[in-house]
Amino acid sequence: MTEVSRIDRIWGAITARADVLGVPVSLRVLCEAAADRLPITGVAVAIRGRFVASELICVTDPLSRRLEELQLTIGEGPTLDVLDGSSAIHVEDLDAPDYQKRWPLFAPQAVDTGLRAIYVLPLHIGAIRGGALALYTARPARLPADILADAWVFSELALELLLDEQAGIGPQNGYRPPYWQFETPAEVHQATGMISVQLGISVGDAFTRLRARAFADDRPLSELATDVVIRRIRFDHEDSG
Amino acid sequence: MNDERLAHTFVELADTLVDEFDLVEFLHILVDRCVELLDVSAAGLMLADSHSRLQVMASSTENIRLLELFQLQNDDGPCLDCYRTGKPVAHPDLTHAHDRWRQFAPAATQAGFRTVHALPMRLRTQIIGAFNLFHTNPHQLDRSVTRIGQAMADVATIGLIQERSLRHHETLVDQLQTALNSRILVEQAKGVLAERRGINPDEAFTLLRDYARRHHHRLTELAAAVVDGSTTATELLSITTPPPPSSHPPRRG
Repeated sequence: MTEVSRIDRIWGAITARADVLGVPVSLRVLCEAAADRLPITGVAVAIRGRFVASELICVTDPLSRRLEELQLTIGEGPTLDVLDGSSAIHVEDLDAPDYQKRWPLFAPQAVDTGLRAIYVLPLHIGAIRGGALALYTARPARLPADILADAWVFSELALELLLDEQAGIGPQNGYRPPYWQFETPAEVHQATGMISVQLGISVGDAFTRLRARAFADDRPLSELATDVVIRRIRFDHEDSG
Repeated sequence: MNDERLAHTFVELADTLVDEFDLVEFLHILVDRCVELLDVSAAGLMLADSHSRLQVMASSTENIRLLELFQLQNDDGPCLDCYRTGKPVAHPDLTHAHDRWRQFAPAATQAGFRTVHALPMRLRTQIIGAFNLFHTNPHQLDRSVTRIGQAMADVATIGLIQERSLRHHETLVDQLQTALNSRILVEQAKGVLAERRGINPDEAFTLLRDYARRHHHRLTELAAAVVDGSTTATELLSITTPPPPSSHPPRRG
C-alpha cells in the first residue's frame, strides 16, 4: 500500500463515522474516528483559552475528560506543556520515574484514575498555535511508527477542521472535504505573515482570513497567497476577508 | 575540487553542530557550501512529511520558480525516484528525459537546468528525504560530486539527529514534523519582516540570517520573536533601522 493513500484512508474513516452518526464531518466526529481507529482509549482536543491555560473543545469519553480537567485544576501535565509550546510528548508509561518526576502532581493522580500512556501532538502551523490533540490509553503503550504517522495525519485534519470552524467555513457554507491535496508552499506562510502586519492581527487570525478569502473567492489557497506575496493583493481593514 | 576548502567546510559544519545549533540555519549553510564546493547551479534539501510528501527544508535559491521545481517532484522526478528506491538517481541531460519525467523534465529544462542528481537522506533503513543538485550544463555527472554530495546528505541527517538528541524521548516521526514546522515558522517570519520593512521575502530572509548570526540568536528563535513581535526582534522589525549595506533598497508595494 502506498503512503499516498494514508490520508484517504483516514479521511474515509472520518466520513464513515459521520455517516453512521448521521451528522456532518466535524472535530467531534474526527475525535471519535481516531479513538475507534487507533489502539487507544480516548481522544481530546484542547486549545489555549483566552483566560485559561486550556480549553477542552472535544473529548470522547469520561476518563479523558477527567484527565484534561485534572491538568487544568492542578496546573501541570502533558497537554498543558504542548499548549505552552512543547513539541510532541510521547509518554509510554506514566508510572515510570521520569514522568512521575516531570509531573509530580499529575502523573500519580493520572495513574490512579487508570491512565498509563499518553501521546499529545501539537496542532500548529509555525507560530500559529491551534491547540493540542491528546490520545490516551489505559495500558502502557509504545505506538509503532505506522500508527504515529496516522496520529499525525489525524492531528493535521483536526487543525484543518478547527481553523475552518474559526474561519466560518462549515456545512452551512456548503462545506467541502478539507483541501489538503494542494501543497502548502512557502508563499502561503509568507502571505500569512504579511497579512498579520497589514491588518495588525495575530498570524493565527491572519491565516484564518486568508483561508476564508480563498474559500469565498473559490480560489486555491496557494494562488491567493502568491498574489499577496507579489503585492497584487493587500488585505486592508475595509476587506471583510 | 579543493581539498582544503572541503576540509574547512566539514569543520565549519561540525562546529555548527554544537554551537548554538539551529537546524534550519545549519541546513542552509550546508546547502550553500554544497553549491560552492560541488560547483553546481542549485541545490535543495527535502524532508518527507507524514504524508510522504517531500517538503523543501533548505534551498540555495529563494526563487519561487526554482522552488517549484523541488515541489513538483512529488508527482515525478529524480527526487521521488530516489526517495522511493533509496538509491541515488541522476541524469546527464534533462532534454532527453522528457519521457522519463513528464512533468519535471520539461519544467527543469525550461528553467535552464540540464544535469540533475538526487541523493538519498538515509537514517539506518529509513529514507527520510532527498538532496537535489542541479547544473545548467549537461554531463556534469562527476563521481566526486556524487560522493561528496552523499557525504553532505549524510551530514544533514546527522544534523537532524543532533536536534533530536537535544530533546528526550522523541521519535523520528516527531523529529521530522518539528523540523518541517520550524521551516514554516521561518516562512511566516519572512512575511512579517517583508511587510514591516517594505522588502520582499528573499531580502527578509537574508536580513533574518544576518541578524541571527551577528547577535548570536538561533534562527528559529529569532523567527518566533519576529512573528510574536517580542523585544528580541525590535531592532530588526523597526523601519527606522537602516538595512545592512548588502540588501537592496526597500520596495514600496
